[in-house]
Amino acid sequence: MQAFQYARPESVAEALAILAAHGPGARILAGGTDLVIGMRNGEIRPTVVIDLKRIAELSAALQVEDGHLRLGATTVMRQVERSPEVLRYFPALAEAAGWVGSVQIRNRATIVGNICNASPAADTAPPLLVYGAVVLTASPSGERRLPIDDLFVRSGVTTLQPGELVTGIDLPLPVKPMGSAYTRLTRRRGTDLASITLCVGVDEAGVTRLSYGSVGPRPVLVVDETGTLADPQAPDAAKAPILEEMLAGASPSPRSMRAGPEYRLAMLRVLGRRALQTAIERLAKGMAR
Amino acid sequence: MSDRFPLDLTVNGQRYQVEVPVYHTLLDFLRDDLGLTGTKECCVVGECGACTVIVDGRTVNSCLMLAVEADGCEVITVEGLAVDGKPNALQRAFLEHGSAQCGFCIPGQLMSAQALLMENPHPKAEDVHEALAGNLCRCAGYEQITEAVLAAAEEVAP
Amino acid sequence: MNAKVVGASVARVGGEARVTGAQEYTADLKLFDMTHAKLVTLDIARARLISIDKTAAEALPGVLTVMTAEDLPQPVPRFGPHVDDRPVLAVGQVNYHGEPVAIVVAETPEVAEEAVRRVKVEYEELPAVVTVDAALAPGAILVQDPSLRRAGDPLADTNKFSEYHFGWGNVEAAASEADLIVENTYEYPMVTQFAIEPHACVAAPDGDGLVMWTTIQHPYQLQRILAKIFKLPLAKVRVYSPDPGGGFGGKQWPHVQPAVAFAALRTGRPVRLVLTLEESFQAVRRTSAKVRYRTGFRSDGTLLFEDVDSSFLVGAYADIADRVVTKGNWLAAGPYRVPTVRIIARGVLSNTPAATAMRGFGIPETAWAREMNLDEGALALGIDRVEIRLRNLARYGEEFVPGETPADGRWEQTVRRAAELIDWGEPLPAGRGRGLAVGCKSGPTTGISYATVRLLADGSAILLCGVSDMGQGARTVFAQIVSDELGVPMERIEVVSGDTAVVPFTQQTSASRSTVLFGNATLGACRDIQAQLRTVAATLYGVDESQIAAEGGVVRLPDREVSFAEVAKAALSSLGGEFIGNGMDRKDATPGHPIKGSAYFFELNCTAIEVAVDPGTGELTILRHVSVSDTGKSLNPMQVRGQDDGGAIMGLGHAMMEHYIFDEHGRVRNLGAIDYRIPTSKDLPLELITEQIENGDGPGPYGAKGVSEGTILCVAPALGAAVRDAIGVAIRDLPLTPERVWRAMRDGK
Repeated sequence: MQAFQYARPESVAEALAILAAHGPGARILAGGTDLVIGMRNGEIRPTVVIDLKRIAELSAALQVEDGHLRLGATTVMRQVERSPEVLRYFPALAEAAGWVGSVQIRNRATIVGNICNASPAADTAPPLLVYGAVVLTASPSGERRLPIDDLFVRSGVTTLQPGELVTGIDLPLPVKPMGSAYTRLTRRRGTDLASITLCVGVDEAGVTRLSYGSVGPRPVLVVDETGTLADPQAPDAAKAPILEEMLAGASPSPRSMRAGPEYRLAMLRVLGRRALQTAIERLAKGMAR
Repeated sequence: MSDRFPLDLTVNGQRYQVEVPVYHTLLDFLRDDLGLTGTKECCVVGECGACTVIVDGRTVNSCLMLAVEADGCEVITVEGLAVDGKPNALQRAFLEHGSAQCGFCIPGQLMSAQALLMENPHPKAEDVHEALAGNLCRCAGYEQITEAVLAAAEEVAP
Repeated sequence: MNAKVVGASVARVGGEARVTGAQEYTADLKLFDMTHAKLVTLDIARARLISIDKTAAEALPGVLTVMTAEDLPQPVPRFGPHVDDRPVLAVGQVNYHGEPVAIVVAETPEVAEEAVRRVKVEYEELPAVVTVDAALAPGAILVQDPSLRRAGDPLADTNKFSEYHFGWGNVEAAASEADLIVENTYEYPMVTQFAIEPHACVAAPDGDGLVMWTTIQHPYQLQRILAKIFKLPLAKVRVYSPDPGGGFGGKQWPHVQPAVAFAALRTGRPVRLVLTLEESFQAVRRTSAKVRYRTGFRSDGTLLFEDVDSSFLVGAYADIADRVVTKGNWLAAGPYRVPTVRIIARGVLSNTPAATAMRGFGIPETAWAREMNLDEGALALGIDRVEIRLRNLARYGEEFVPGETPADGRWEQTVRRAAELIDWGEPLPAGRGRGLAVGCKSGPTTGISYATVRLLADGSAILLCGVSDMGQGARTVFAQIVSDELGVPMERIEVVSGDTAVVPFTQQTSASRSTVLFGNATLGACRDIQAQLRTVAATLYGVDESQIAAEGGVVRLPDREVSFAEVAKAALSSLGGEFIGNGMDRKDATPGHPIKGSAYFFELNCTAIEVAVDPGTGELTILRHVSVSDTGKSLNPMQVRGQDDGGAIMGLGHAMMEHYIFDEHGRVRNLGAIDYRIPTSKDLPLELITEQIENGDGPGPYGAKGVSEGTILCVAPALGAAVRDAIGVAIRDLPLTPERVWRAMRDGK
């Protein structure tokens, strides 16, 4: 690994100042599980690395306030996976976080880092989309609240501006009882990058939110408000065309080593049906509000 | 701000105050500066787990953590598991169950197992499989490793 | 009296060092004044080198040298196990993705890394062949210039490195009598050893010689090759081989070691090179294969003939792959009584990393095809798949391959036990299936091992052992033998290994040979000491030698017993001294044998698998994996289980997820741990049962045969057959990824 400068600011303001001073040569270090790999293989050669972990305001405990759950910029997957609040209100997010890498990785990797890298295969993106997460940012020109659906552009590219820092994620508590489920497709059962990520949420009002990733440049969110998908009594024949339309946004790359496009598209449907079924069952069991 | 950084940390109960290049990983620091070569280097992308150590009670891949990030932390490596210079219950169980074959992955396996037992004294086999899924063993001694972890739990837990 | 330890699950010698982090592997060594090397490679499979500009790299402070082929003796030395075809560094052209074109030496690894980035290589991409079909296509580019081939090689202007014709009987005549002929083509993927310890090497000048520490299974072969390259006497080349952190065949033969040695001589300092995992993938791999089987049956399931056409894809350099071709194909008809056999087997050169030895050594490649084809026959004939195997399986003492060692085990016992453990014949719910397959591999066909045991004045003992202990637990087993034979407790035995200057020659650590060859040598050395003690005891106790027996650590006099330790102490009391015992075992070549040597023993395994297939996704769940091996006698059952479990799981990796993926430029796309997947603790069968058959019928100590490869031999066909049983479709390519299984279910036949 080549030399760089290391900064360990203690406030967001200080971090923003360093970001502003170094421009594109600055890189944010939270968990480091992607950054350090990139720096070691020479793909990323920063002039300064800004470590966020000493900024107290970014690492507050996960807690519910004002009708939402706040995740900090340095909140790691292991915290998300085990947080009683996440398990209670956003179980599919806990499932997704629990699938990321190994325990060692989940002890370091942050959920904010996961979305800022904008990998189409990011496990936490589909549940965050389904739950309507809002990304909180700070920059010299002020703070923003960005619906997560407006964050992703394509692999490695987001709508974040130069000098802008993600300080956290807000998850609005579901107002209606909701059942949700996360699922993924991999090459082995052990840790693996997903060739499909998929999350479904159905609520009491019959709205179905479906999000899927790893089958296009960015994760996709689609919503069905007809009530048919969420209806446990509706026949498969009625659901199939709706699901089909919702999955039409998938365009998996033919260059992928992990799975061919044909298989991915077929599995999207299989996993979509299964996750929908699980979400409906969970709603019925009252597993989540 | 500099490309060297003063580091103050504890490794296996011993405090170190040293200056390290910021581009050295915790793995580099442990192996090259402290000579603690029990922690192994293999994939350096956080997939194999050979470099697993415990930092503040949690396992990390030391190849993906800069040494400076361990400032103020308490680090335990495989060399720190022994009690009074003798293998601890987990290490003994690995010996008794033939869990160490070539041995290269074993320090990492031990650290993941140790961390598991610290937070879950009564794991089931599937808990062990989950906790150790980030530690590849190409000798594929997974069964004997799992048996050792379960046996150590039996011995240690009240 | 010392309790007998042979046959007991005693703790591993070196085990404590392995669980405390004290075990020193090559990469853990630090030498005074050590420098650090990195390789310069190109991101292309085949290319003509136009120029290499080292100036920017050499100008970097801390860089000691940047060596290319031009800095080596001319013509550039080439080397290999049998054919000297691999250059120390690429000469004029690179022939596979990752072939080193230069080696950079610097004061620190960081400087070496940066220097590598500054070496400018100008090259012109050339077309590459990376598959059997492409390499054998008319008009294909030649991977090796004909001048590199053996003089007079009739295949020199083709990509066939070799072609062998084995067999007996007349296939055409047999075919005319057959009630059923099944013909299919099967492919075995390109997989890699993936030892968790990456390859590493430290070389240094040593007076007028050379010293090297490296991850190597055959230190004495490396010593021979280095001596030849550097024109040094063997005595001036010292190879230390710290316990490898896993070998699996991949650490048998040198690849980068000679380049590191040249760098050490040039700089005059110790040079250390540790390959990245990605580079290790480019250094070693298993042969992949495309194999056609045509199998003839009588209607009662009796095998009439096997007609095999087999292409093993080797790399750009031969390494040991030609031997993989012969050993893997000579037994292509398996452990069965087949009256007529024709085998055409070839090694096919390609622009891929050099294929070398790997656990199973060619047998998994052919067993996959043969056993799957046998199942096809059984199904077509309506004969039970276990029954058809039992019907044709060679019985003990039967010369099932003409001129070959007769069947050395009660193999039907192995197959019956596996069938029993998998509940063969019990009904299964839909979506589940069972498969069973048999694998048979020659152990060593030639080999030699010398052992020296020193019984010291206090009754403790030292064994000098040339076998590399890479996880199989070699030292433990040999210490057990010494313990029982000389009556020395395990903790008073030291096994010294890994130094060619000190430890007597052992030819190889491969082919599951060590328990037998080195075990017999150890036994011989112990018997030598026993004889010496008997003579000494005669003098000491004034008894005629004919009335004394010395065995198992005890000298038996007519009126009493004295322990070896007591005799040693009494005999050596005045001057000190020791008893030195020497032993040797050898397996010579067999004159006229088609592959030059008959099997010292066979590794025979039967694997049976029950699988559940997810009908939507094609994902497999291994519900039960049974693997029964004929070990003759398990000297350390706990270690045997470690090897057997490990081989079984590695076999599942090959069968389910592992394979190199190439791009259109012949580059390996999935180098490293992220996209080359091996089994983790979450990928295990829900139930794994490994068992051993022990009839004491092996040629090794106490009736032992070799173990370590048996359980990998036929995992793929057992799984393939189970999947076929579950979904009704045979899949003939590996790995059986969810996608491939799904496609088979969708497409049907």
